Amino acid sequence: MKILLVEDDKEIAGHVSHALTSAGHDVDSADDGFEGLSRASSGDYAALILDRMLPRLDGLSLMKQLRADGVKTPILLLTTMAGIDDRVEGLEAGADDYLVKPFAFAELLARVNALGRRSEINGRAAATKLIAADLEMDLIARTVHRAGHAVELQAQEFRLLEYLMRNAGRAVTRAMLLEHVWNLHFDPRTNIVETHMSRLRTKLDRNGAKDLIHTIRGTGYIFRAD
Amino acid sequence: MRIRFIHTEGFRIAAIFVAIFALAAAALAASVLVIVQREFRDQIVQFANADIAAVKNGYRTEGEAEAREVIEQRMTAEGASDFILLQRDGKRLAGNLKAMPPRTGIFTVPGIRRRHRILGVATYIAPGLYIFSGSDLYPARLAREHIVQFLIWIFAGAVLLAVLGGVFVSRNLLRRTDAIARACRAIMNGNMKTRVPVRGTEDELDRLAQTINAMLDRIAALMENVRQVTNDIAHDLRTPVSHLRHRLEHARLQLSAPADYDKALESAIATSDEILALFAALLRIAQIEGGARRAGFALVELTDLLHQLRDMFGPVADDSGHVLTLTLAQPAAIRGDRELLVQLFSNLIENAIVHTPAGTRIEIGLRVDKDFAIVSVSDDGPGVPEEEHEKLFQPLYRREASRSQPGHGLGLALVNAITDLHSGRIVLRKTVQPGLCVEVAFPLGGDVQAPQAIEVGNL
Repeated sequence: MKILLVEDDKEIAGHVSHALTSAGHDVDSADDGFEGLSRASSGDYAALILDRMLPRLDGLSLMKQLRADGVKTPILLLTTMAGIDDRVEGLEAGADDYLVKPFAFAELLARVNALGRRSEINGRAAATKLIAADLEMDLIARTVHRAGHAVELQAQEFRLLEYLMRNAGRAVTRAMLLEHVWNLHFDPRTNIVETHMSRLRTKLDRNGAKDLIHTIRGTGYIFRAD
Repeated sequence: MRIRFIHTEGFRIAAIFVAIFALAAAALAASVLVIVQREFRDQIVQFANADIAAVKNGYRTEGEAEAREVIEQRMTAEGASDFILLQRDGKRLAGNLKAMPPRTGIFTVPGIRRRHRILGVATYIAPGLYIFSGSDLYPARLAREHIVQFLIWIFAGAVLLAVLGGVFVSRNLLRRTDAIARACRAIMNGNMKTRVPVRGTEDELDRLAQTINAMLDRIAALMENVRQVTNDIAHDLRTPVSHLRHRLEHARLQLSAPADYDKALESAIATSDEILALFAALLRIAQIEGGARRAGFALVELTDLLHQLRDMFGPVADDSGHVLTLTLAQPAAIRGDRELLVQLFSNLIENAIVHTPAGTRIEIGLRVDKDFAIVSVSDDGPGVPEEEHEKLFQPLYRREASRSQPGHGLGLALVNAITDLHSGRIVLRKTVQPGLCVEVAFPLGGDVQAPQAIEVGNL
């Protein structure tokens, strides 16, 4: 995946670039807002990683300019841990996802992958059914079948499975699940994710031949059909 | 500096009173003078008329000689004028005045002595027979001058008293305001223990001094709090940072196997995450206390939100052997920030799950009392001694029992900040059985129908 990283902190830029390259991505870097804007406008990138505080042109203005120019490349906005309002502001200015510094590289990679997937989905008609191996999810009727048997899921378990299936084949982190399934933007002290995940797995595996949800140590979870 | 009292409020007020007094005294003096003058004049005219009537009567009955006779008598009589004149065709016939141009009516003529004037009445008692009778105005003038002089003395005395009083009052006030200013300067110079002296007279300056002292006490308490928190943060940070350092040093000096390195690094990362979480929590509290989030307040259905929390934490509580129930007395909505409210209640529920043993029942409740929606999270666990209740909400406070557990002691401080942002109130309720009941009361949001009066305990 071809990624543009706009970050003025040389050390962070170096680490991020290295981590993304090691994960098999192709990374271009820019270290100020104007350069970032011109590269993002001309280059054909699958995703942008953008620091909020940039010299010459800040991240929010850069994003607004890009969106105004009709550039739809998914954007991951990076910010210091300043504030709760920053997320809303960032998303309103056109960011697709938001990550607070400092972050784990696993978290960054998972989110970049999810962004790339989003750009693949873009333009495709919205699916009414998600199918993977012997698992079938009907998004309209809100039912789930495993090898032909109905699986009774609670609303939260359904949302959890839906998010995993939509990101099939890609790692999702605990924080991503908390944000997308429960709309929580803080780290709870109890193991909400683990508890619900374990219940979902138990219900799914009752009729299935093999596990579909796998734990990735230090990162999170992955849904794999093969 | 010596005449500083002139620029005081006390002196200004004294000066204003002096001016008012002066105006009143002037008005009084003027009316006294007018009344005295009129009285003199009336008496002079009365005497003159009596003289003229007597002379006229004498002339009518016995002729001019008798008239002259009467005048001679009148000049020494009681109740008669000082001066009298009878003349015919410009020639004096009798009296103690020189002949003068005949002019009738009431008027004054120059007196015999310098600066004396005579007020008198003149008329013709027969064709060609002219009479003037009058008295010296000098006594009247003397009286007037005495009165004026007397008033001036009184006035001067009063002004002097007023000025002295003003000086006294303002120096007194100045002394007390100086004391307040001195105390404030001492505090500015860093002596926070200084207080404004209070006389115990309960007057307005005393009340002001008491208010200032109360304010200083509050500021001192807040500063102490900040100092305490800063100390705690420094202390709380030093521990994980030194652990981090030890672990890294240990890894460099003692370890050789890659697997051991991995473990050491993983634990170092976990420790730095802990430190970052502490910072993030502090920043979040500071940001919430800043109040900017209030701009985005919207109506939040508590019923709906609490159902969501029950669904979220129910299974977690199940797994740890707790029983989580939800009791909704009636629906309620408040104006607020949904995300922050979720965090607030999550914190309370997680506290109950983390800090009570398995088997504890945890109940989330919602009821309406007058204009407040009250959300409660109660448990029948071991509870918290009442003397610790207040400390629970202090930033970084951790109970002895929970020091070994992960956490940074900022959960309830965050709860407090979010509650304050929503103009709410937190009460820790004593329950009869052991256990803890945390109640958070919020003003009801506008669009909810008025709640019926319900039986509730005191909040």
